[in-house]
Amino acid sequence: MLKNRIIPILLLKNGRCVKGRQFGNYRDTGAPVTAAKIYDAQRVDELMFLDILASVERRSVLLDIVTETAKECFMPLTVGGGVKTIEDMKILLAAGADKVSINTAAVEDPDFIKEAATYFGSANIVVSIDYKQNNDGSRQVYTHGGTKATGKDPLVWAGEVASLGAGEIVLTSIDREGMMLGYDLEFIKIITSALMIPVIAHGGAGTLADLKQGIVEGGASGVATASIFHFTDQSPIKARWFLKDNGVNVRL
Amino acid sequence: MKVVVIDYGMGNLHSVSKALETAGAEVLVSNRSGDLEMAEGIVLPGVGSFVQGMKHLVGLDLIDKLYQEVIIKKKPFLGICLGMQLAAKTGEEGGSVNGLGWIDAKVIRFDFQSNEYKVPHMGWDDVKFVGVSPLFAGLDSPATLYFVHSYHFVPADRKIVTGVCDYGDEFVVSVSKDNIHLFQFHPEKSQAKGLKILANFIDMYRNKE
Amino acid sequence: MLKRCSKCMIPETHETILYDENGVCSICRQYEVKREKIDWKAKEKELLDLIDQYRGKYAYDCIIPFSGGKDSTFTVYELVKKYGVKPLVVSYDHHFYRPNTLRNVDRILRKIGADYLKFRTDWHIVKKTMLESFIRKGDFCWHCHSGIFVYPMQIAVKFKVPLIFWGEPSAEYTSYYAYGEVEEVDEKRFNMWVNLGITAEDMSGMINVPLRDLECFCYPSLDDLRAIKCRSICLGSYIPWDVKKQSQIIMDELGWEVDLVEGVPPGYSYEKVECMMQGIRDYIKFIKRGYARVSHLTSLDIRNGRLSRTEAEKLVKKYEGKRPATLDLFLKMVDLKEDEFMRIALSHAVSPYKHDPNRTERGQKLYDQDSWDWRDQ
Repeated sequence: MLKNRIIPILLLKNGRCVKGRQFGNYRDTGAPVTAAKIYDAQRVDELMFLDILASVERRSVLLDIVTETAKECFMPLTVGGGVKTIEDMKILLAAGADKVSINTAAVEDPDFIKEAATYFGSANIVVSIDYKQNNDGSRQVYTHGGTKATGKDPLVWAGEVASLGAGEIVLTSIDREGMMLGYDLEFIKIITSALMIPVIAHGGAGTLADLKQGIVEGGASGVATASIFHFTDQSPIKARWFLKDNGVNVRL
Repeated sequence: MKVVVIDYGMGNLHSVSKALETAGAEVLVSNRSGDLEMAEGIVLPGVGSFVQGMKHLVGLDLIDKLYQEVIIKKKPFLGICLGMQLAAKTGEEGGSVNGLGWIDAKVIRFDFQSNEYKVPHMGWDDVKFVGVSPLFAGLDSPATLYFVHSYHFVPADRKIVTGVCDYGDEFVVSVSKDNIHLFQFHPEKSQAKGLKILANFIDMYRNKE
Repeated sequence: MLKRCSKCMIPETHETILYDENGVCSICRQYEVKREKIDWKAKEKELLDLIDQYRGKYAYDCIIPFSGGKDSTFTVYELVKKYGVKPLVVSYDHHFYRPNTLRNVDRILRKIGADYLKFRTDWHIVKKTMLESFIRKGDFCWHCHSGIFVYPMQIAVKFKVPLIFWGEPSAEYTSYYAYGEVEEVDEKRFNMWVNLGITAEDMSGMINVPLRDLECFCYPSLDDLRAIKCRSICLGSYIPWDVKKQSQIIMDELGWEVDLVEGVPPGYSYEKVECMMQGIRDYIKFIKRGYARVSHLTSLDIRNGRLSRTEAEKLVKKYEGKRPATLDLFLKMVDLKEDEFMRIALSHAVSPYKHDPNRTERGQKLYDQDSWDWRDQ
């Protein structure tokens, strides 16, 4: 049976891991390559690197990190942050990434998703969707690291993304990100019920019980988390054993 | 064992090479004829679309060379993910595209009616061994290994199947025919168990040197 | 109410625990393997062969990481007296050795006879790491975990002594490694659970000090360890570990002395005697996970057939969860108020335990606490 995945996310800024709240207030959380080695030793299901200060100048820093990580860590790796072209993707995949994640580039040019899926195969293309709740309770997609409102409905956008050939969606609630008060479960359920492709829930996990809810109640194929592993005594190992002990289908 | 990992522009060569090195091989990443001739083993990795994969192999003029080395000279061959699929006769993507044709098989897309089973098949899943393959020596069945694919391999002859997985229905994840060994999962991403499989591949042929 | 093992006292908040259909935990099951399925005679033969491979070939036959506690003392004793090795005994000094332990160390090493190396990190740096790791991980002993497991590896590389003998196997307490599996005490294990998920490189950015100030916490590279063909293993993978029996041996043969420890019942005075911070560590564990050292000690006794579960429950109820007197010392060291301390500890709660911060039972002050000289911290 396909296992549910626990995916730590490492946000990168200037070559260091950082973690914040609601896409701001970032604190240093360690060195990327050693963090990857730790997660590899802890046998995580997958690891995601997101370069939040992505720019042409920083591209080589990210590549070095990916290359170094791939030398000793043999676990699935998704890399994203400022990925704009097929060439960007080629270079990251050749350096050791298994999947590449696009966000802003997909919103600005949805056909890019199709182009990438055709070239690399759907399974290797992840689209990250960041959203916030509006005052009237509806939700809206944001790009550019959570700074630009797009007016797009995330449910509609997710549907488009899937039909354009994306292999997987990482759905992030900006409001809940880093707050450690639980996932946006109702909305996650709406998205996972509507789509044929896997959805990874991200944003809000504070306790192991939250991780369980994201999978069982939210219907997510996996849960991505950062804060819980950086700022609490929980580890991916404890998380998997807890979930297994509570009847969730995970890999031990 | 001197292994050549074929660079045909399709994805993660670095991980496969490092994993094979860690498993004990001497690795060269190349697509040159001369290197393939000197190789003791050949690995075709790859992530991506069937049509692109074949296009690149054709563009690099590798089809005949690979046939020489793998089918005629019977060098040990390992195909991973796309590398497995390309060994088939046809791939369903974008109409019917011809593969290398080394194994009588077709590559078709997962097709589920409900969204209970998501496509791509993405993540860790249990591989049940079929028969006793030296490639799985030291591992218990089922072994949880990493998958990331939307298409799967359907061989005509079930006798070559060495591993299956249950996803909706049972589907084939590994086959071995003479010197040709194909895996749908990614041993280079499956941590300790994956490294063991790669080490087994190298050990199988190391003694024959 | 926490779910606990039906045989021992370990609850569901323990790291790496699974209960089977009879409610028996994975660690109790490992014990059954230890008792019934391991051929200890064959293991001892492996040990002898291993030691012979290294004997006489290097500056020392092996390195023994040492604290003066019951496990490392027994390890030194057994390897020197029974197996005749010439070790280099190596200690990482975490700043918190109790007076009785320091006396034990001197007495024992003089009696056994071994070369001894000890290292202590700059206190200003240690204080910073203590507060940082407490805030991030609810465990202030990062420097100790890291120092203990890194420093001997660095010495192995520097002195070119490839064989390193640790003491108890982790399968005695957790399910990271099973009995019968060879436990290599290596960087993977270090990253898996020893260093709290924080390496020296991480800590350097977190507390904003140059990496060179944390050099003693930097795990040697794989290349350097491969160059000396390092083997880092547990004695307890080759002989069946029994803390009560072993403690008695070192008391009788070496004059090793027990001590009173915060929060630990009488009859267990061999346990964790070496560390001043034991009581606070235990208390934090209780706040996060709802159990502490007494659960762990009584569980070991249950598994070894020395205590019934009913007796264990009584001891746990009586002795666990009290606020230790040493907490005042810790708060002063890292400059925290008690309510801040509690808030931080509570933020690391492990599901499903929810601690009641209003529990006010206090533990007894240790007889030697006032003699610990912390005036200049």
